[in-house]
Amino acid sequence: MSSGRLEAAHDEVLPARLSLGKWLFRLASGLLLIVATLQIVDTAGLVSIGFADWRPTLYAFLVWCVALAIAQIVERGELGRQRLFVLPALLFTGAMVIFPTLFGFSVAFTDWNLNAQSGPHFNGLDNLRTLWADSYFWNALGNMVFYVATVIVQYVIAFGLALLLNANIRGRKFFRVAFLMPFMLSPVAVSWMIGKSLTENRFGPLANFARWLGWENVTFFTDPWIARTTIIAMDAWMWIPFMVILLLAGLQALPLDVKEAAKVDGASTWQTFWEITFPLMLPVSVTAIILRTIFELKLADIVINVTAGGPAGATDTISSFVYREYRDRANVGYATMVAEVYLVIIIIFITLLLSVANRYVRKVT
Amino acid sequence: MRVHVYETLMAMQRSRRDVLKGAAAATALAASSSILSSTPSFAEDSIVAQIMKIPGAGNGSPTDADWQKVGALCLGPTKANVKQGEFAGVEFSFMGLNNQNLHNFLFRGFLTPWEAYTGAKIKWIDLAQGDYNARLQQSIATGTADFDILEMGAPFEGDMGVKDLLSEMPGWVKTQIDFDDYVNYLKPPVGTWAGKIHRVTIDSDCHTINYRTDVFSDPDLAKQWADWKDQAGLATWGQPKTWQQVQQVTKFLKGKKVKGKEVYGFLDQPKPWGGFQFYFTGSRATAYAKYPGEKNWLFDENMKPLVNNPAWVRAIQDVVDALPSEPGDQINADPNTTAFQQFVTGTGSLLEWWGDIGTFARTSDTATIGEVLNFDILPGSDDVYNFRAQKWEKLASGPNHAPNMAYLGWGIYVMKSVDADPKRQKAAWSAAAHLGGKDLSMWTAAYPSGFQPYRKSHTNLDLWALAGYDKKYIGSYMDSQSTSYNHPNSAIEPRIPGIFQYYSIAEDELQKTFAGKQTAQQGADNVAAAWEKLTDKLGRENQIKYYRISMGLT
Amino acid sequence: MTVNAAAGATALAERDDAVAPRSFARGVGRAAIYALLIVWTVVALFPIYWTLSTSMKLGRDVTQGHLIPWVDFMPRWKGWQSLGLSPDTIFNTSNVREEFLNKLINSVVCSIGASAFAIVIGSLAAYGLSRFDYKFGPWRNKDISFFFVSQLILPPVVLALPFLVLYKELALLDTRIGLILVYTLMVLPIVIWVMRDQFDTIPMEMEQAALVDGCTTWGAFLRIVLPIALPGMVAAFILSLVLCWNEYFFASLLTGSDAQTLPVMVASQTGSSGINWWTIAALATAAITPLLLIGIFLERYIVMGLTAGAGK
Repeated sequence: MSSGRLEAAHDEVLPARLSLGKWLFRLASGLLLIVATLQIVDTAGLVSIGFADWRPTLYAFLVWCVALAIAQIVERGELGRQRLFVLPALLFTGAMVIFPTLFGFSVAFTDWNLNAQSGPHFNGLDNLRTLWADSYFWNALGNMVFYVATVIVQYVIAFGLALLLNANIRGRKFFRVAFLMPFMLSPVAVSWMIGKSLTENRFGPLANFARWLGWENVTFFTDPWIARTTIIAMDAWMWIPFMVILLLAGLQALPLDVKEAAKVDGASTWQTFWEITFPLMLPVSVTAIILRTIFELKLADIVINVTAGGPAGATDTISSFVYREYRDRANVGYATMVAEVYLVIIIIFITLLLSVANRYVRKVT
Repeated sequence: MRVHVYETLMAMQRSRRDVLKGAAAATALAASSSILSSTPSFAEDSIVAQIMKIPGAGNGSPTDADWQKVGALCLGPTKANVKQGEFAGVEFSFMGLNNQNLHNFLFRGFLTPWEAYTGAKIKWIDLAQGDYNARLQQSIATGTADFDILEMGAPFEGDMGVKDLLSEMPGWVKTQIDFDDYVNYLKPPVGTWAGKIHRVTIDSDCHTINYRTDVFSDPDLAKQWADWKDQAGLATWGQPKTWQQVQQVTKFLKGKKVKGKEVYGFLDQPKPWGGFQFYFTGSRATAYAKYPGEKNWLFDENMKPLVNNPAWVRAIQDVVDALPSEPGDQINADPNTTAFQQFVTGTGSLLEWWGDIGTFARTSDTATIGEVLNFDILPGSDDVYNFRAQKWEKLASGPNHAPNMAYLGWGIYVMKSVDADPKRQKAAWSAAAHLGGKDLSMWTAAYPSGFQPYRKSHTNLDLWALAGYDKKYIGSYMDSQSTSYNHPNSAIEPRIPGIFQYYSIAEDELQKTFAGKQTAQQGADNVAAAWEKLTDKLGRENQIKYYRISMGLT
Repeated sequence: MTVNAAAGATALAERDDAVAPRSFARGVGRAAIYALLIVWTVVALFPIYWTLSTSMKLGRDVTQGHLIPWVDFMPRWKGWQSLGLSPDTIFNTSNVREEFLNKLINSVVCSIGASAFAIVIGSLAAYGLSRFDYKFGPWRNKDISFFFVSQLILPPVVLALPFLVLYKELALLDTRIGLILVYTLMVLPIVIWVMRDQFDTIPMEMEQAALVDGCTTWGAFLRIVLPIALPGMVAAFILSLVLCWNEYFFASLLTGSDAQTLPVMVASQTGSSGINWWTIAALATAAITPLLLIGIFLERYIVMGLTAGAGK
């Protein structure tokens, strides 16, 4: 949807302002550099200044950010003001992730196990080789394919619910809040109250209900396929409201006049939906599906709490596997490598998904 | 002494001596109670006798107010060593578990009067059990260990010990907590590292077998059992004494009913639990794998895994064989639900668990089987595997028993970082000693606390009776506990660094086996191979060295 | 299947005010709508009812699967008692209640703080990405958007050590501000995505007109676009709030006592001594209540989208 951009008059920037901006920026950069260098020197033990922590560098960085923002406006005028919209988020995200990212990449190529006496060692591609031969990883990746495939079912249900809520109904507020409720329960609580209580083999109401329906030997977590389905059903129960909100907000924003026109033309309800509502909803739908897919790919809490990946890895996800490696086994180097590889896989997958989705959106609209 | 009485007295600013006098000479009594309670009877008005009646069995679970009362009454030993207000201005942090609002919450209650008396202030760091191990390891590795006192299980002593992070117990603490009263297996080497004592014990752990007396005395079942083809030596219906019998009983009980309710035999814990599940497999294996007179049973003295020898494989196979006779979804049953949800509410008739189930069944309002519960040490085995001779042997003395001292209990540890400041050091150790106090421990043993008896003096059944326990019931309970603790062939786990990593890897492979994805032998071989790799990764030479230190091998 | 029925139903409902000849079919359609609504309400609310009622049960009521109060079981204050929040304990001192309140306040501060911060910087970024062409070196709009989204992807568990180290060095461990920063990072990509979609659907003509009239870009954004985009912002805020409110991993990792939040306390209700169903249930109920209030209160702002959309 990036066709057409907002045009604003570009004011002319005088050379004096230009140099003022440049100097401001240089000054702030210098300050940041000096503080950071002092701290590094202090930490390295070359000079003893006695910093308690790295807060001074943090503050210098904040000053630098402000200076950068001012410099943008002073130097570039309108263009700078436009950049100012995106700068805070960029600087914030950059500052927060740069260290963890570098740290992560450096750890991924080591054999770091927290209990090892000798600390981390660079071990080249060993972790990758281990991963290639790790049946737990491939098993979990296989499960992920199933989990992600169900997103489309979840989307269909969510769209249906959003349409219901958008209809002219009585008690709309009640239904909207009620439909939103599952999303509000914490995954930890869901794991216990539903995963371990509601589906409990002997007393769980869901088990009793299933028995009443005629399922004789009710077990939700013994057969691999039933176990996977139960897990995803719980997860979907929690996350469908997320999609409903997005889709409902989308439906609310639809221009009414288009539909009115269709009605006047005598289009059937089915035609109205399929030819007007659905195409108009595509951008929001793509957002909902992509975001949901990303969260699905990170599915962990429920699996860790309810099945710990079992029975025999049937419900394992990459995240829960990484969780076991990283935490239970303190196998930091290898677990980080698994996560980084997974990150690459996801990025490729999401990029593909996005381009397919965009092409489809363009075709339909 | 009630908290508010104590506070009123404080407010009146009496001298220390006056307070003591006003409070019915609590100190004097506390001092004498330690002598009294080791004899079969006790003084009617002793501290320990008073606290055992708070709140009394059948009055529901104790509350925060009860913990504070108990803590206040047990302040005597502290007062003997610490002047009032001596630690004013000292602030330290205490990291421990928040297990169902027990553990740290109990400590808070117990230490509230201690804080009021000494003037120290404690900051609490509560961890969920699932986060505990990871948090501890990560704190150590990143230098973010910001706690001064630590509630920790003995298996982690290796992790802390090799990095020299623990403070050594001062002599006065050893006296205050009456160190000699500990049951034998909790004395060194457990609780120590490289010869230094680090731990104030507050708990002891071993697996025992819990069984239902109604099931094993049911006349109908007895009749049917007579026709059972393989009785494995259990000629008349009753509680099985060996694993061979347990297996048969479990198969026999499938589909049987007692008083109209479906009853099952043994309950297994096949689901991974962050390492803790391995203890249950271990308890099934010790009778097969722990040869009398031999300390090694999980590894040999060179850290070669024994987990894939015939003894362990048989234990794993036992689980595989028993699972079809156990309740549905047992493969996904959380270990803790088997005890606190299945067993105490009447599903299953045999369960291996730590000692707390005995007290829980009586004092918690969840339980429904308090009346028909009985205890024994873990089942034995007709034959035992001698891994040195590589063959199965039948002992002349009869079945081989080997109680599994799973986890070795919780303890309070003080971090070495407090040693720099003598006042802090004394404060921290005083707090630890208060929690590990003799009278207090009697209370935690008897009431829901997450902690089990760990002292010889806890065998005083008269004290248990004060809390409302039936002496016969608690006698059987204490018997199973102390027989296990003092058993000559008990299996002690190696406190090597990273022991929970070994367990965690094993759990994943074991569950695959239990689910029928691989044979018991394959599963065991995979575990052994993964363990060898892990030992290499952690540093084989060091691991062997620490293994020998921790097992007391020289 | 659901979609078809529902879509039909929607259109039917919208025709309500028109004079429709087939009133019988319409009646069936409406009945179907309400039937579906009620079915899903049961699906959505039953587990929550189960949670709420469990907080009033004794252990044996839980393990026997009792459902209906006063018929199946006598409701007790069991779960609330253990938190010091039942009528009989509320006036006594209770360490547990103090902990609970402390964590509740932390949860409120951290989730509202993070969501608000994310909405502010996220909406700005989304608007910028929707309206202007950026060039930061080789990075264009698409790359910037993807940079933001990619922050969502990494399994958080591998961020444990880096964040521990980073926060230790910055003295942010066990502080609310530390938690707020992480949570902002966590929800920012969602906010940016949702808001960019919102801005994309808002026509540019009005801003363009304002700009021609001499308004600055920021002025046009604040005065014209912001009011229209409010429903979307509220939706994004609710989503962020809920995600932050229930976040467990970082809360358990980066806090110890001062800044610990509610989910950590919920998770603590299980362990080697079984499961305190009633306490988990009471905690979960207590934790969901503030969100419920916010849901009820803010829900009408999402509805406002209708009027905003109509104005276009």
